[in-house]
Amino acid sequence: MGAGSLTLLLSILGVGAILFVAWLLGFVISTALLPAGERFRLERMGWSYSLGCALLSASVPPALALHVTPLLVLIAIAAVLLSVLRRFKLAPDDAGAAPRRIPTLLVVAAVLGVALYALRALTEPMWANDFIAIWGLKGKTLFGARGYPERMTTLEYSHPEYPLGLPLLFAAVSFLFGHWDDHAMALLFPLFQAATVVVLVGWLRRRGVSPEVAGLAAVLVAWFEPLYSGFLTGMAEVPLAFGVLLFGVSLADALDDTDGGAVRRLVVAALMIAATKNEGMFFAIVGAVIALVFGRRRRWKIALAAFAPALLVRVLHWPWRSRIPLADFDAGLFSTSRVWDSLAEAGRLLGPKTWIGLALVVVLIAAGRSVFSGNRLLLLGAAGVAAYLVIPAFAVRGPAWLIHTTLLRTTAALAPLFAAAVAARYAGEETRA
Amino acid sequence: MSRRRIAGAAAVALLALILLDQSWAELPRRVRSLAAFAPKELAVRRLGGSGAAFDRGYFSFLENVRRSLPPETPGVVLTRPAGEGPYLYLGAYWLAPRPVVDARLLSQWGPASGWVTAAYAVFPPAGADRVIARLPEGTLWGPAP
Repeated sequence: MGAGSLTLLLSILGVGAILFVAWLLGFVISTALLPAGERFRLERMGWSYSLGCALLSASVPPALALHVTPLLVLIAIAAVLLSVLRRFKLAPDDAGAAPRRIPTLLVVAAVLGVALYALRALTEPMWANDFIAIWGLKGKTLFGARGYPERMTTLEYSHPEYPLGLPLLFAAVSFLFGHWDDHAMALLFPLFQAATVVVLVGWLRRRGVSPEVAGLAAVLVAWFEPLYSGFLTGMAEVPLAFGVLLFGVSLADALDDTDGGAVRRLVVAALMIAATKNEGMFFAIVGAVIALVFGRRRRWKIALAAFAPALLVRVLHWPWRSRIPLADFDAGLFSTSRVWDSLAEAGRLLGPKTWIGLALVVVLIAAGRSVFSGNRLLLLGAAGVAAYLVIPAFAVRGPAWLIHTTLLRTTAALAPLFAAAVAARYAGEETRA
Repeated sequence: MSRRRIAGAAAVALLALILLDQSWAELPRRVRSLAAFAPKELAVRRLGGSGAAFDRGYFSFLENVRRSLPPETPGVVLTRPAGEGPYLYLGAYWLAPRPVVDARLLSQWGPASGWVTAAYAVFPPAGADRVIARLPEGTLWGPAP
């Protein structure tokens, strides 16, 4: 039986087993980022998945450079990390678990939302144009060519200026699985969603948000189809949404000095978002600015933790970066009238339901209380929305083109961050601003 | 009305909006599609999926090209319908890691020797030179001498 004739179920089991082992590895390593204890349990589950995926991606470039299998590199990285883990392990968190749990109805609703997305993601092989032309093409080339051919740095339609974190993850899973399966690998995405939801709930509960509000935020995110759709499966929005949530809550934790692992988590989250999409660098810069403004005595340490890792990813990525000028953007085109064109087009693009939804979010923000952590997350998210509205002013094919092709999906990726920001305003014991 | 009640009402309304906006109608189709295609091999699943929906005959052509390519083929020149990006993207993706060049961009790319040409919906007369494979959807030519 050829590899291609493995039925879907067997393939999903194979990819699932690889991701489970990666998660387990991430779970062990996560003790250096999150203190052991009930309060951090849910967040640790989600962080473990991100760490597992990051290790998988990181195993590929050294393996290609050394002409060895990524499995060997993964084992080597894991061995090194495990050998130094004791030195970096955080002291356990003494505080007990919150006395009240998330209502069962909300847990079931969130699980159903994830299950529904799993159905959308796994119905067929990943198919969106951007998966075929960009993320999937790069991953399949990395895997099949066992390298990154020079031609990929000049292939305009595959956007050689994009970071390679996601293609490296696809390639890593394929190396371990033994062949390229763009259907079973869609499993990565509902797992990103599940990890996003558990980190969201865990962080909100740890920050004093009631189980009802935290659970409702999780349900809203789990059912948010503009992000968790069949179309976006295979593209970078779903992992970026997870990464930006991790980055935002880590930044808030670092600024509030909640625990000894907060700055470390910020470093890891900054690495991840910069490796996933170009705007990861933008969020790292905004995070560093927020740290400089609100960080008091620790401002430089936190700003550095937010920005330096993202810069490192850019530097590491340099050999595989684009060798051609950006085709879609031109700084010389910027004008105030183009920004207005962009805003007007965005206004036209959003239908009545979206406007009603945005109005309800504004009501939720206004009805909550001003809370340090929530305010910072709102600031981060608002900066992202502003960037997505202004960048089309640089578009060669006009602001309307970029607004129509990207605005809905790029802003949808901020939904988990906004859910955390808004729900944090309902924290019972949070410090008031 | 307290702020708490206003927030509760807004949250429930937002949830209702999100639930109403789900693509409920497609769910039975997804379940049926999954049940029908899950036991089949990967290429058949892609053939039946959205990625090939713009021209299923073209995907069938690509799969036949992939199966017919001599193992040492360094790259593929692709002739395809004019003006359609997805044809090139799917061709490059499906035949990866082999490089694929659009026949219209040959002057820009200049493929090296040994490249084969995959021509969609082109059927040369019997006895034509350099034909590697006559496929139901097109032709695979060997490298130019």
